[in-house]
Amino acid sequence: MKDIFVQLEFVTWQSLPVILFCVCFAAVVTIIESSFHMKLVVQNDALVPGFAALLILRELGAVVSALLLTSRVGAGLAAEVGSMKITEQIEALKMLGIDPVRFLVVPRFVACVIGGFLLSLIANLVCLYCAMLVSEAKLSYSSGAFITSMRAFVTFQDLVFACLKGACFGAVIPLVSCYFGFRCKSGAEGVGLATTNSVVVSSVLIIVLDFVLTFLFSHFY
Amino acid sequence: MKPQTKVGLMFVGALVLVVIFAFALGKFNPFSDAHEVNLAYNFAGGIEVGSPVRVMGIKVGKVRSIEFNPEFKMPDTGEEVKLLIKITVDKRAWSSLRADSRFFINLAGVIGEKFLEISPGSSDKPELTHGQVIRGEDPPRIDQMISQSYALAGKILDMVNKNEGSMVETIETLNKLVTNFDKALKQLEKTSRDPEVTKIVKNLSIIMSDGAFFSQKLRTPEAIETMALINKLIKRLEPLDGPVIKKFLQQDGIKAKLF
Repeated sequence: MKDIFVQLEFVTWQSLPVILFCVCFAAVVTIIESSFHMKLVVQNDALVPGFAALLILRELGAVVSALLLTSRVGAGLAAEVGSMKITEQIEALKMLGIDPVRFLVVPRFVACVIGGFLLSLIANLVCLYCAMLVSEAKLSYSSGAFITSMRAFVTFQDLVFACLKGACFGAVIPLVSCYFGFRCKSGAEGVGLATTNSVVVSSVLIIVLDFVLTFLFSHFY
Repeated sequence: MKPQTKVGLMFVGALVLVVIFAFALGKFNPFSDAHEVNLAYNFAGGIEVGSPVRVMGIKVGKVRSIEFNPEFKMPDTGEEVKLLIKITVDKRAWSSLRADSRFFINLAGVIGEKFLEISPGSSDKPELTHGQVIRGEDPPRIDQMISQSYALAGKILDMVNKNEGSMVETIETLNKLVTNFDKALKQLEKTSRDPEVTKIVKNLSIIMSDGAFFSQKLRTPEAIETMALINKLIKRLEPLDGPVIKKFLQQDGIKAKLF
């Protein structure tokens, strides 16, 4: 249990600053680009706050935070497990009668699922707040107008689905990272390759899974 | 700081953010002080749970729930109404709602957002009571109107196709009539410029004026008296026959006076 909390702290608390920093910039870009395109296409940016809020909740918040989590946590896990593999610590665990999957993968998996859920939630809401500030400063929409416009598009269900997406993406990261870690070849080159592969495969799987989940969730609207 | 504490803080932070989000979306409001009214409709025109409620254009509440009730009848009129919409109205606007307030379903904004508009009632009417059932104004069914006008257009086209010959004839006759009328007007205009006609019109005007003057005079008491005397005289002369008048006229004195 303590191990789960340690991993959870590593996944959530330590990843939070970098994720929040990045999603805030993503919010700025979303608002500005949406406004630019709306003005270009329909000559009116009245729907930008609602549209941007929906885009953030349905896609941006969960995917950006999951990709950042992959590059930070996934790479770390693959390197950690890979190093344990080449230094034969995993073999030692087996000799001690400890199941390495139960000892290494399960706490990381639980921590990443909960962490993905939590980080997706926080990232989405902070991203929305940031979008509101940007629309106030750049597009001259008051916070009240932003929320009113957001209410026309966004439902509470969107946040729930975003969190579920975050949890699913969180589940992908430890599975892929530990898979490549356990199959790590000897030497520093092997660890590097396992880390690279785990990040690439996790990112690709997250994008594919995002499509699958979006398709599934679209049946609930 | 222990990992457990940090994780706990994360959870608390996330929970606070969720509460703020729910509050912003209007799903959760612990400070709400609103009254509820039930509105009965037969057609709600696309209104949804969460749609805003406005009084004089100001948002004062929202649609809380929509319930299908096929057995429901209005308590006062007995009218069958199958849709019950529960709305909330803020306390600040509650006093504006009176017994004669009307509840419309309207459309607003670029995206055609549906909202419920309440017209404030007259101040001499009583206020609404909490939970009261009121009959709302069913919005016009645009789809039905389009469909009906489409059917009407079809019928008109059908009628035109069937009676094409007679319609063309009627139009030609009307055309001739208008042409003749135009000719008559032109002739009249030309005639009115002739000096002889002008003279005749002037004389007619004088005759009419004289006639008016004469008829006016006939209404005076003197004229009425004279008419009565003449009438009396005629009645007195009535018994006289031809030979008597002849004899009278042949008398010397009379004859001399007349001729």
